[in-house]
Amino acid sequence: MFKPRVLTPLRALERAFTPTIRSTPTQSQSLLRTLSATSTFPKTTPTPSLSRTLLPFTQVRHASHASQGTANQHSRDPAGKRLGAKRSGGEYVVTGCIIFRQRGSLWFPGENCGMGRDHTIYATQSGYVRYYLDPLKHSKRRYIGVVFDKDEQLPHPRNAPSRRKLNMTPVPMAEGVEAQSDLVASVDENGVHVTDAEAVKAESGPQLRPGYMFREANWEIGRAAEKAGITAMPHDRGNRWLAWRKRQQRAERAAQLKSLKGKKKASKK
Amino acid sequence: MAHCERASKPLLQCLRNTYSRSVAGVQLQTRAFQSTASVREPEAETPSQPFHKAPDPSLVTSPRLERRLLRQGTAPIGSRRRRAALQDSENLPFEQLPYQCFQEARKILLADREQKLKEIEVMRQRLARQEALTDQESGGAKAKKSRVTAMQLHLERLKVLADINDPAVKRKFEDNEGDMSKPIYRFLADRKWREYRRKILVQRITQMNVVPDVLPHCDPVVDTKLYFGKRQVQAGEFVDAKLSTSAPKLDVQIFEGGEKLVTIAVVDPDVPNVENNNFDYKTHFLAVNVPISATSTKVDLAQLLEDSQVVLPWLPPVAQKGSPYHRLSLFIMEQKDSQPLDFAAFKAKENNRDNTLLRTLQSRYHLKAIGAHLFRTQWDDTTLEVMKEIGFDNANVELRRKRVEPLPYKRRNPSSFR
Repeated sequence: MFKPRVLTPLRALERAFTPTIRSTPTQSQSLLRTLSATSTFPKTTPTPSLSRTLLPFTQVRHASHASQGTANQHSRDPAGKRLGAKRSGGEYVVTGCIIFRQRGSLWFPGENCGMGRDHTIYATQSGYVRYYLDPLKHSKRRYIGVVFDKDEQLPHPRNAPSRRKLNMTPVPMAEGVEAQSDLVASVDENGVHVTDAEAVKAESGPQLRPGYMFREANWEIGRAAEKAGITAMPHDRGNRWLAWRKRQQRAERAAQLKSLKGKKKASKK
Repeated sequence: MAHCERASKPLLQCLRNTYSRSVAGVQLQTRAFQSTASVREPEAETPSQPFHKAPDPSLVTSPRLERRLLRQGTAPIGSRRRRAALQDSENLPFEQLPYQCFQEARKILLADREQKLKEIEVMRQRLARQEALTDQESGGAKAKKSRVTAMQLHLERLKVLADINDPAVKRKFEDNEGDMSKPIYRFLADRKWREYRRKILVQRITQMNVVPDVLPHCDPVVDTKLYFGKRQVQAGEFVDAKLSTSAPKLDVQIFEGGEKLVTIAVVDPDVPNVENNNFDYKTHFLAVNVPISATSTKVDLAQLLEDSQVVLPWLPPVAQKGSPYHRLSLFIMEQKDSQPLDFAAFKAKENNRDNTLLRTLQSRYHLKAIGAHLFRTQWDDTTLEVMKEIGFDNANVELRRKRVEPLPYKRRNPSSFR
């Protein structure tokens, strides 16, 4: 908008001076030439000095620098991590099957799916994979789910009871302590015979253990206190007196060990 | 103890000093009007009994003495901070506290209460006039009903607003001395319940999927507490099989006036079904026509009447060894218009524990879930004993996980491999 109005007087000026300006360059050039020839001043033009004042620290990268490093550029490109979908929608998966590998949670575990330590999505039930959105649960998240029927759709309606599977079998309950046996070796003229010792009811005392010793089984030794009816004092958080005593004992022991350590080192030296 | 005493000390000292200094002459006069006895007096009468032997529930501040009082069955009043303040106070009646600003503020509150009482009177008259009108005069039965209910709601609101700024009401509520037959105390109790306990309950029933599994929707409006013997069970807690052999007691607090008839059901949606490889429902308890109101809250499921209330008596919940935990969900469902259901017909129809879905019952008898609770059971040391007691079929069978056969190895898209 301003342009024409501002420029008109300038244009008028220009028109007035053009003949003189056109005539001058030859004169000035000749004048300069005479100046440079006569004086010892370095030849300076106004434009470069201006640029130097405005941009004083302009850095220039020459070709020699730019060329460095390009030779090894490709070796910095790492190997692919094989991320992405391992099972597509509608594919059959079994429990524990990995469905999607990712960095960060691009996809979230939906129905019958879990998320691993590195955000891997895996199936927790056998079924068919579904990739879906669930706006009622979260407006932006994308979910991966597993359904039991081939034509079942996700997400399920909000009020529908959840569909589950038991995946368990009935087994008669194990009763009491089972008899345990050990290997025994006997040497005669025919060679070495390794056989099972007859199964002993484990509660019937010491028996032949590996290493040719008669003793109780390890698990039985571990239960000795229980059998004798010895119980540890139940921990009471409020008993600060006991806690203080224990702490003191620990500190004393630590100090003792530390002093011993120091002595050893000193003796070595 | 020390903290609250230290915190309240400057205030109390200030109060005592100003009182004795400036209003010393008035003191005797105000004393004469005082309705409650001074706290110091009974102590003076029985100097032989030290405080730690017989702690006063309105003065006790040490946690140990508080615990002892609780064990004896009397709860200390209010907060510990308040009790500490009471120890040193002159026990002035609230209305006579000698602060000018306080007294001016009280005047404003009293004026507001007067205004609210007038509004209530006006509203009552308008409501009576509206109810006296015939349907034609008020423009149809529907319009009349909506107008009347709106007026009733407004009236209830006004009743609450009249008392809500009264400090004495607030104190009574905090000391658990509130009279639940009055709207203001019901309002305060409801607000307190919604602040924390209801949030926990709603979180438990939604996170453990009770709400879509047993019922499609539940918006709890009554506070439900569950006790096995003396022990209170929090929502979602694991309960030993031995403990849950006898029916629990309920404490159902409704926050509305009037009596309601409710149906109480305890449903287990996690009964393993090995043949079909899924889970079944089982109704562990069902009772109808149970009356509850804001003042009578206790419901003992074992004490309900056999011939007019209990449809299915209590069945102790047990979980088979190895099976996932069982959620025992309790629902309190309001009967339509608080009308009693026909007990004989109900019992004849709904006598099967296994094939009764609560959803079906809800739609068949027009019930509305107003309260919920939840506890869980799993296999523990006492379960086998309980199983033998109730004659459980598969007591000596445990459940083991089925082995998952891996998918056969398949080379995917071999042409793209090198």
